[in-house]
Amino acid sequence: MVNKYTSMAYAKADDMLFGQSKFPVKAGLGLEIGAGYTTPELNYAPRPQAGKSMEKLVKEYERITTDAMARMVQIGAPSIVLETEHVEQMSNNPSWGAAVAHAQKTIMEEYHDEYGIKCALRHTIGDIREDRDYLQLRGDKYNTFMEAFEECAKAGADLLSVESMGGKEVFDYSILRNDTAGMLFGIGVLGSMDMEMIWADIAAIAKKTGTVCAGDTDCAQANTAMFIAGGLLDKNLAHTTAIVARAISAARSLCAYEAGAVGPGKDCGYENTIIKSISGVPIAQEGKTSTCAHSDLMGNLTMQCCDLWSNESVEYHGEFGGTTVQCWSETLAYDCSMMNVALKTGKAKDLRDILALSDKFRDPQGYVLAYDNAYKVGEAIAKDGNNNYLRSKNAAIESCKIVEEGVNSGKLRLTRFEASALAKVKADLVALTDDADKFMSDNLTKFKQEVAVFRPENYGL
Amino acid sequence: MLDLKLEDIDGILVRYNVALEKEMTPDEAAEELYPKDELIYPVAKAIYEGEEDDVVDALQAAIDAGKKPIDLIDDALMVGMGVVTQLYDEGIIFLPNVMMSADAMLNGIEYCKSKTTDVPESKGKVVCHVAEGDVHDIGKNIVAALLRAAGYDVIDLGRDVPVDEVIQAVTKEKPILLTGTALMTTTMYAFKEINDKLLEKGIKVPFACGGGAVNQDFVSQYDLGVYGEEAADAPKIADAIVAGTTDIAALREEFHKH
Ligand code: B12
Repeated sequence: MVNKYTSMAYAKADDMLFGQSKFPVKAGLGLEIGAGYTTPELNYAPRPQAGKSMEKLVKEYERITTDAMARMVQIGAPSIVLETEHVEQMSNNPSWGAAVAHAQKTIMEEYHDEYGIKCALRHTIGDIREDRDYLQLRGDKYNTFMEAFEECAKAGADLLSVESMGGKEVFDYSILRNDTAGMLFGIGVLGSMDMEMIWADIAAIAKKTGTVCAGDTDCAQANTAMFIAGGLLDKNLAHTTAIVARAISAARSLCAYEAGAVGPGKDCGYENTIIKSISGVPIAQEGKTSTCAHSDLMGNLTMQCCDLWSNESVEYHGEFGGTTVQCWSETLAYDCSMMNVALKTGKAKDLRDILALSDKFRDPQGYVLAYDNAYKVGEAIAKDGNNNYLRSKNAAIESCKIVEEGVNSGKLRLTRFEASALAKVKADLVALTDDADKFMSDNLTKFKQEVAVFRPENYGL
Repeated sequence: MLDLKLEDIDGILVRYNVALEKEMTPDEAAEELYPKDELIYPVAKAIYEGEEDDVVDALQAAIDAGKKPIDLIDDALMVGMGVVTQLYDEGIIFLPNVMMSADAMLNGIEYCKSKTTDVPESKGKVVCHVAEGDVHDIGKNIVAALLRAAGYDVIDLGRDVPVDEVIQAVTKEKPILLTGTALMTTTMYAFKEINDKLLEKGIKVPFACGGGAVNQDFVSQYDLGVYGEEAADAPKIADAIVAGTTDIAALREEFHKH
């Protein structure tokens, strides 16, 4: 029986801060995450040719690891997390993933032994549970998927994560058609069901291997919405619709922590401030330091309550200032140094507010994710915490209300288009049933008809 | 929490989208573009609104009044969709509206076909695919939808499509255009292979490539490549080809923006 969150970890939004979480997590070599300081989390991708063989891949990750560790020592950074997001070969062949983890960890141990630098290794297993046409969430690939976690954990990975994809087939269809119920069904219902399944299994592996069951992100859905929404002038999706998807995603990603994960949540989970407010787990975030990987409208704001500060991903190659992993880890480390000074000098709340305010009015997405508002979304989720559907719907409605309040204050300005998209999504939400079973059966019928690739058996339905 | 005064916000960020928003509402703008014919108007309007049932009702009314189903495809459905694409291109409406309208239009075409034995003529065939090893297919789905909306017959090979399967499809279908989408630096090299295998067979079809990882420099490295930055460029490239520009250099001249 999973324990669902029905109350908030923090008594008020103002208690939330970067570098501090209610439940810090010890990991790897001397590191403690969310225990009063922030730590850079570097993420990288091998060059395309490196994937040709296991030997080449291992070599590439050795270079990456050595470069990054060396730079951290050169600039006097006290701590670092390395995140290896698996390329497909590493998860489909767990022995490859394990070989990489082992090679990286060996180098990190050398640096830790020699310099005492606190460090940990996160491996983010690829969600390989699909074949060309269909998701295959429970099919043949499930065993390989779990084996990849276990092998990497045994070989040296300290933190276990994944960006899981449950519900994505329904979501992909719905987001391009402004189908609010479909968004809610894909993320809040199907996504949550899949999360509950996989995270119980990952938690068991973490327990068995003495590693940290870290957390997930709704990259597959909420970030897809954010990317389709794009910049201020893009015309592919209303940003007011994208933030509703994001709010729902918090209810979904929370399921990992209910099934046994303890954080740090994944960097690209822009829903993480909401999750921290409810669960108190430490979180990784990315923002202006991930412009090497994508553009978004909240480069500073996301730093507001982070415990790990990440660059999302960068391809390994040379730059004027060293290799990319050296340049970006250095940028991250200096950002962390600034936050850590703020923490020590009693200025952390001011810095947090400056970060939040610099993007709060830039876009409705940032407005809702500003920690004061994120906290309100958290409350809406916790209110019906036992019911995945209702709490998702609550989060969605709350995010609409927050945007409306922002508009009424005059500070958040919307285009007429965004305003009417907001009105539509809210009207759709308010009209939905409160009965989770009815919602399930209505949407099951509907999406079985409309989405050819939707297979209910993926969710045990 | 610290806060900003209302008057201070403008110095920190500019909501250019709000500042530049067009005066006219989308509905007003659409109203100006609908054809005036009283049998066609309701079809066009129902397409714009994305209401499949209304499209069918309006089509039936036009058929009852003597219009030929086959003509309604070009004269009503495509015209209605033209209104939608024009508004999208002008930044007045957003993509989900286009997708819903395209669904309604395709449904309408099926309906017209079911009412006649005539076979409609398409503007041309386009083969779309996502590179081998790559599952990121939303961009491709948008490309395919916009091409269909523009009246092209789209053969969608899906995602993670092996190079040889693309070659087979092109050999078999003889499209006017092939499109490829790749979002990963690791998968986009498949485009070069496709290019080389097509050339080996002497097939010189323009190969429009796009997607997150792909850039103009990369696409310019192989002979058939034409880079497209936005999904909306795909129907424009196809239109240019139909209008007679089949030379790759000329297409690049027109569509390469950087
Ligand atoms: C959503 C997403 C996913 C979703 C995809 C859902 C789906 N159905 O597509 C999921 C969760 C499945 C996913 C999985 C993975 N992803 Co991913 N994903 C993204 C993300 C966040 C957004 C992509 C997106 O949908 N954009 C919106 C669409 C609309 O944009 P688009 O496709 O580019 O299309 C636009 C234009 O390019 C154009 N266009 C596209 N095609 C064409 C063609 C023509 C002819 C024309 C004219 C125009 C055109 O039209 C569109 C609109 O105008 C990106 C981040 C980023 N920075 O891009 C990462 C990203 C692409 N993913 C990445 C990675 C690494 C992965 C995984 C390997 C992660 C993992 N470890 O499992 C797997 C890949 C599995 C595989 N084998 O493919 C990396 C790729 C890095 C690299 N090597 O290059 C990225 C860049 C993230 C990052 N910064 O690290 N991902």
